[in-house]
Amino acid sequence: MYQAESSRVPLGHRGLRAGAASGRGGRVSRNVVVLGAVSMLTDVSSEMVSAILPIYLVFALGASPLQYGVVDGIYQGASALVRLLSGFVADRWRRHKDVAAAGYGLSAACKAALVAIGGTVSAVTAIVLVDRTGKGIRTAPRDALIALSSTPATLATAFGVHRAMDTAGALLGPLLAFGLLLLAPARFDAVFVVSVCFAVVGLAVLLLFADGHPRERDDQAGIERTVDAGGRTRPTLREAIALLGERRFRVLVGIAAVLAIATISDGFIYLGLQRTLDLSLTAFPLLFVGAALVYMALAIPAGRLADRLGRTRVFLGGYALLLPVYAVLLVPSAGLVALIFALLALGAYYAATDGVLQAIASALLPDRLQASGLALLVTAISLAKLISSLAFGLVWTLGGLDAAAAAFTAALVAALMLAGWALARSPEAIA
Amino acid sequence: MNGRVVALIAIVSLCVVGGGAYVTVAALTAEGTTSDERPRIVVDEAGAATLPAASSLLVRAVDYDNPRLNGRVYRTELAPGDTAESVGGLACERVYVSPTGTGLCLAVARNGFDYQGLVFDRRFQRQASFSIPGVPDRARVSPDGRYGAFTAFLSGHTYSLGVRQFSTHTAIVDMRAGKPLFSLDELEITRDGERFERADANLWGVTFVDGDRFYATLGTGGQHYLIEGRVSTRRARVVRDHVECPSLSPDGRRIAYKRRVGKLDRWRLHVLDLSTGRDVALAERRSIDDQPEWLGDAHVVYSDDRHVYAVPADGGGRPHRLVARASSPVALP
Repeated sequence: MYQAESSRVPLGHRGLRAGAASGRGGRVSRNVVVLGAVSMLTDVSSEMVSAILPIYLVFALGASPLQYGVVDGIYQGASALVRLLSGFVADRWRRHKDVAAAGYGLSAACKAALVAIGGTVSAVTAIVLVDRTGKGIRTAPRDALIALSSTPATLATAFGVHRAMDTAGALLGPLLAFGLLLLAPARFDAVFVVSVCFAVVGLAVLLLFADGHPRERDDQAGIERTVDAGGRTRPTLREAIALLGERRFRVLVGIAAVLAIATISDGFIYLGLQRTLDLSLTAFPLLFVGAALVYMALAIPAGRLADRLGRTRVFLGGYALLLPVYAVLLVPSAGLVALIFALLALGAYYAATDGVLQAIASALLPDRLQASGLALLVTAISLAKLISSLAFGLVWTLGGLDAAAAAFTAALVAALMLAGWALARSPEAIA
Repeated sequence: MNGRVVALIAIVSLCVVGGGAYVTVAALTAEGTTSDERPRIVVDEAGAATLPAASSLLVRAVDYDNPRLNGRVYRTELAPGDTAESVGGLACERVYVSPTGTGLCLAVARNGFDYQGLVFDRRFQRQASFSIPGVPDRARVSPDGRYGAFTAFLSGHTYSLGVRQFSTHTAIVDMRAGKPLFSLDELEITRDGERFERADANLWGVTFVDGDRFYATLGTGGQHYLIEGRVSTRRARVVRDHVECPSLSPDGRRIAYKRRVGKLDRWRLHVLDLSTGRDVALAERRSIDDQPEWLGDAHVVYSDDRHVYAVPADGGGRPHRLVARASSPVALP
């Protein structure tokens, strides 16, 4: 097996130099780059399938739009259920890599199943369900491994590196699928076969190169002193739940959830931009691509900035970047310049918040409960997003887009002030 | 070299060689089109016998096993024993043709990825094409061939409940110019003389009365309204509710449509008399998700996405299968 020490050693000339040679910042460990590569390969694999899934279901299998809607709903929702469980299992038996590998393996097997038996709508529905379960299983242990492979000073940079690679894969996948269908029109099986290849290579990189037991991190977190009274025993479910009783973690989860409730969901933002700017519907997907490109480019710099200037500062700054995006939704007859500005701000918001929040949380969490804590945080945010989506849809329906954007602007300002107040009131620094 | 690196190189090589070979074979076999295969469309004799003599239909082939045949357009006389005759090289997900011979075909683009609308002439030759921003669903052409209309499903909009739902995009097509004229979202809609605007409004399923007037469905807040509008004024008014995917009879007096039953997406075919308001359920008891088509003034034809059926328009009789392995039926003059 891999030596525990090796992941602690910075990569030197082979590593990503992620900041100044000394002080806060610094380099991310090789294990983070390995996990980033695994995510990139897996995202190429899964995004190339999800890009062609609608057309495959409707045209190759003759699914009705309702059936497609069911599959799409599963695609969006199935992963939340297993996330909490897999996070806890990974912590309890200290098997982060194995649990993550099970998740990646399950998804790879699903791509193979699409090739073998994906010929009917019901089979594809079942396969998509299992595939998304795989995603739910792998996320929390993978993020825990990233945290455990990083020094406290480079946590946000490490998550930034991972998210940048992950997003690169998500952008490459649809392009690859598109290219394959140009080469071999209507041969969806060719897309599935290539998808299997990427998934298998991703799994191989994980199994061969990822370190499942990175350094036993020094306890700088503080939580461990209160929760981990029993020394090195296995964490229990009670301890995992008790994380929510720990003041600073609870404040963080609360802040993240309140901000998420005040955030207009991605779909609505893109739809609002499309309506406000009267974009052609064919240009619609380009909005996603534009924001993802900015996210990819800024994920590492934002992480580095967070490690240097303070993570909560960058995190709250990221949310503040949403305000100009909302403003574009509110301004009537905004032009192309406003659109580019909005996409830049939106991409920067993703970069400054997604990985950085995971970094803030993992700095607070004891090593032995990393995966459980991160899973709790992500689940709380998912719930908050659901509430936000419901509220925005309701206000839009009742009062129109302007009213909804104005209400959410006010809510976001209030949430930012609340977050600033809660952080200032917190006796110990959160990050 | 370390063992893990060797293992990774082996796996990557295997994938590159295996995947590359598969894609190469797929690309080569996809290019070599052997389109002389026989269509599997079959006219059902017993069903055809129930119809007036000399009826003929345009349909598209449903053949998911054979992507090269799927969507091909066929003409059939509906005479017992008649085999369908392929017309032109069109492959459509939905097709419609006016009595003048001008038609609209909603197709998968050559790249297998995007969708396009094709305007074709009486010889089924492509005259113009334009892109369609979603999954094709309905197509219609006005009786004089002047305007067309299409509905496409847009995926990926997150509405309330956090569930991704479909929204529809419906546009009027200028058939002469060969491109969309305006989206039905731009219609100024009134109900009982007052403006009727809803943020969640979806419009779909156009049927034309003449070269200007049309009917369509307006869905909002779980309700489905029949609206009547004009291309020239871009205005419409709400006529009544519970009508989806209307289809005007040749005599212009009745509308065949699908009526939602229960909360789930299940529909029964109905015929509504516009002057008397009399509404009858047709004898097809299964749920049908289609915009029906009239065959004469006494029969309604439709598909269940596998086969084409006919049923009497007065609520009596029973459905008969007309054409196996076909959908999107259009009555020809």
